[in-house]
Amino acid sequence: MQQYIPLIFPTICALIICALVISVIVKNEQINQIKGSLVKLKKSFNELDEQAKLIVKTDLELNKAQEESDKRLKGLEALHKTARLISTTLDEQEIFNRLDQSLQANFDFDKILLFIYDKNKILKTKIRVSYSQEGGEYALSSLEKNTALMKAIQEGTVFSSVNTPQQRKNSITQCFSTEHFVLSPILAQNGFFGILFVGNQSNASPVTEGDEEIISILANQIGQSLENARLFEEVFLSSQALETKVQDRTKQLEEALEEVRNISQKKSEFISAVSHELRTPLTSIKGYASILITGKLGEIPQAVKERLEKVNTHSDNLVKLINDLLDIARIESGRAEMNMVESDLNHVIENVHDLLTPQMKEKNIRWKTQVSPEISSIILDASQVERVFINLVGNAIKFTPENGEISINAVLMDSTVTVEVSDTGIGIAPKDITRLFDEFYRVENDINQNVKGTGLGLALAKKIVEAHQGKIWITSQINQGTTFHFTLPLTQTREEKSV
Amino acid sequence: MSTHIGIGFSHDFNTEKAAREAALEASAQLKSASADFILILSTAQHEPNAVIQNIYNLFQGSKIIGCSTAGIILNHAVITHGIAILAIASKDIKFGIGCARDITTANIQQKGSEMARKIISDFGQHRRQVCIFFIDGQIADGSRLLKGVQEIFGNVFPLVGAGSCDDFRFEQTFQVFQDRVLRHAALGVMMGGQVSVGISGYHGWRPLGKPRLINKVDGNVIRTIDGKKASSLYEEYFEEEYENLHSTPLGQMSILYPLGIFVEGSREYLLRNAVNILDDGSIVCQGGVPENSVVHIMIGNKDSCKQAATQACEEAKQNLLGKKPQLIIIIESMARLKLLGRAAIQEIENIKKVFGTDVPIFGMYAHGEICPFQTVERIKKPYLQNESIVVLAIS
Repeated sequence: MQQYIPLIFPTICALIICALVISVIVKNEQINQIKGSLVKLKKSFNELDEQAKLIVKTDLELNKAQEESDKRLKGLEALHKTARLISTTLDEQEIFNRLDQSLQANFDFDKILLFIYDKNKILKTKIRVSYSQEGGEYALSSLEKNTALMKAIQEGTVFSSVNTPQQRKNSITQCFSTEHFVLSPILAQNGFFGILFVGNQSNASPVTEGDEEIISILANQIGQSLENARLFEEVFLSSQALETKVQDRTKQLEEALEEVRNISQKKSEFISAVSHELRTPLTSIKGYASILITGKLGEIPQAVKERLEKVNTHSDNLVKLINDLLDIARIESGRAEMNMVESDLNHVIENVHDLLTPQMKEKNIRWKTQVSPEISSIILDASQVERVFINLVGNAIKFTPENGEISINAVLMDSTVTVEVSDTGIGIAPKDITRLFDEFYRVENDINQNVKGTGLGLALAKKIVEAHQGKIWITSQINQGTTFHFTLPLTQTREEKSV
Repeated sequence: MSTHIGIGFSHDFNTEKAAREAALEASAQLKSASADFILILSTAQHEPNAVIQNIYNLFQGSKIIGCSTAGIILNHAVITHGIAILAIASKDIKFGIGCARDITTANIQQKGSEMARKIISDFGQHRRQVCIFFIDGQIADGSRLLKGVQEIFGNVFPLVGAGSCDDFRFEQTFQVFQDRVLRHAALGVMMGGQVSVGISGYHGWRPLGKPRLINKVDGNVIRTIDGKKASSLYEEYFEEEYENLHSTPLGQMSILYPLGIFVEGSREYLLRNAVNILDDGSIVCQGGVPENSVVHIMIGNKDSCKQAATQACEEAKQNLLGKKPQLIIIIESMARLKLLGRAAIQEIENIKKVFGTDVPIFGMYAHGEICPFQTVERIKKPYLQNESIVVLAIS
């Protein structure tokens, strides 16, 4: 047994070594596996990182797109608000005030300048934000000195820091001391109105293509609003000038009317004076003629008597004419006094009927009268109104053929009595109706040629009706008949009324 | 309970008129003779001195702070041009304000502590609930200012903060303290007394691509990633040379793809905006970055943003422990406004769905947000974050 003892130790050692070797081999295998896994993991991480880079890139683009889209939406909102504000006023200064507020409140620009042509075609600063007065003037003068740039703007080119070539961009930056900008012409149908400049100095807020579009649209909107305001101003000034002209003309007409009134007054006075002077010798003529006709101064031959009777008749006509003229003159001059008393209209009409019955009988004309019962009494000058009726009925008789009819109707409406004197006569042509109340106007027809008249009857009737604060008018149809309408207020002052 | 809240707003382009209109509206809504606290938000187009002059006259005696913003968030709208005023009059809520001026990279941490001390000094011995502060968003490494504040308030005290900003110009912002307009300053308000607050913040961004290792960091400047210059990360993804990255619109888009830093025990990645790229290719971040941390480029979309907003609101509401909120203050990254665009209002609708339409909302778009970070711990530590929405519900 002892002989094996020396062999046991080496064997054990060998076994241990074998086990260790196996273990090392296994561990090595595991280390290799881990190393492999690490490499794979590292590769995965790197792949993950590559994906992450793609995600960041996409996300960046999305963020930029979103920012641009937000900016555009905000810009559109701002544009909408501003357009609404400036298009709802036609006052140029108010447009600038509203624009000033809205540009600052709704748009994200630090610097704003608005230059607008005045009436003398000189650009003036109307809005200035973040520029001193000198800064604004410097920008404008620098811009005007750059003729090529000004020409391009006037031709409608919009410049922005996004799309402008570097050289031109530098010149604009120099003019306005601003890195990021939009410079847009303000155009309207009538051409170039001015320039709108907006900008940001900070690199954190560069302008975008969206800004360029929005500002360009806004500039057009400003142009339209300013054009509307200026057109309105022109129309307003024209209308003011027209109004002044109308006022001048009205004044001239009033003066002319006053002159006409004065002339008319003088005419009335002249007629009155002449009529008075004529009436006295006429009375003598008529008196002497009457005495001669009676034969008190000796028998006169029949032929002389006939001539004297003609003198008498013509004298009567002349007296009537003179009386009518005197009445018209008196009423026109305000010297006639209306004796306004409570009267019975039926009675007035009855008197007229009595007076004119012989003439109506001659032509077998029927007579009808209808006065509303509520017109029991009316305040008027009965003798004068009687003259109106005599004139109207006298005319009616004259122009109504035999077997015709004349009617008088009087109705009460709203404290006014309306009287209608109608006939079934030959009627009056429309062209004559408007002139019928003119003094000495006589309608040209066969009857008037055969029957003498003064042409003063209707003029006198009109004056009397107007002296009663009434109106007179005519309705007529040829060959059907004519109606004279006139109104008389039911109540008037009971005192004698001077007209 | 006697707390009155008034919110006034005007989008008039005339600064004086806008400030007066907003102040009068806030005053009218307040239903109180005077306000204890005024928060002013103004978009960068307005001249700040004209803003404050017109508001200070109406609210003399009130504690006033404010800052410029890229946009104002209200119940009915998201506005990128206007002035908004929040006025609070309350017997229950106590306010203390303070500010630190002339902040530089060298003194930023001390200035944070200085501001915090001034706030405490003004606040007095009341029960502290939350501190809201605003810092010039142009100052790099706001996390150092936060560190200074935390030195005074403690690491886990609820802090909500915002970087004031302009309209994506990254040029000049302003802060308002009482009747003065400040630049390069930080200012804040401590709210306390009988008030409950619910805070939450989420961003909704997701990691993209392979994880990388940040090898070398100097505070908020990342020198190398995966052994290469830090800017190579963006160069690879954007296919742009680093010289162009920050000067072109594409460079501006980098705020949509922040760096996501994995923090052990966190529910979300800690986001960092690249605010600048140095000549040597180093990336300057808005907040501090831990060395040897794993970093991803991050990506978000409208849905993830809106979802994060809802999540933040629900958590803030939950943190109120059933109390009805009286006011919602929102601090949201301006990058989210850029991403959401016209859909930004939908996010506000989601907020209203959680809190109800009757609760007033007052918020701003900021360049850097501070709020407790989403970790698994019960008490969360505030961090400077980017691309996030911070919801502060006050009851």
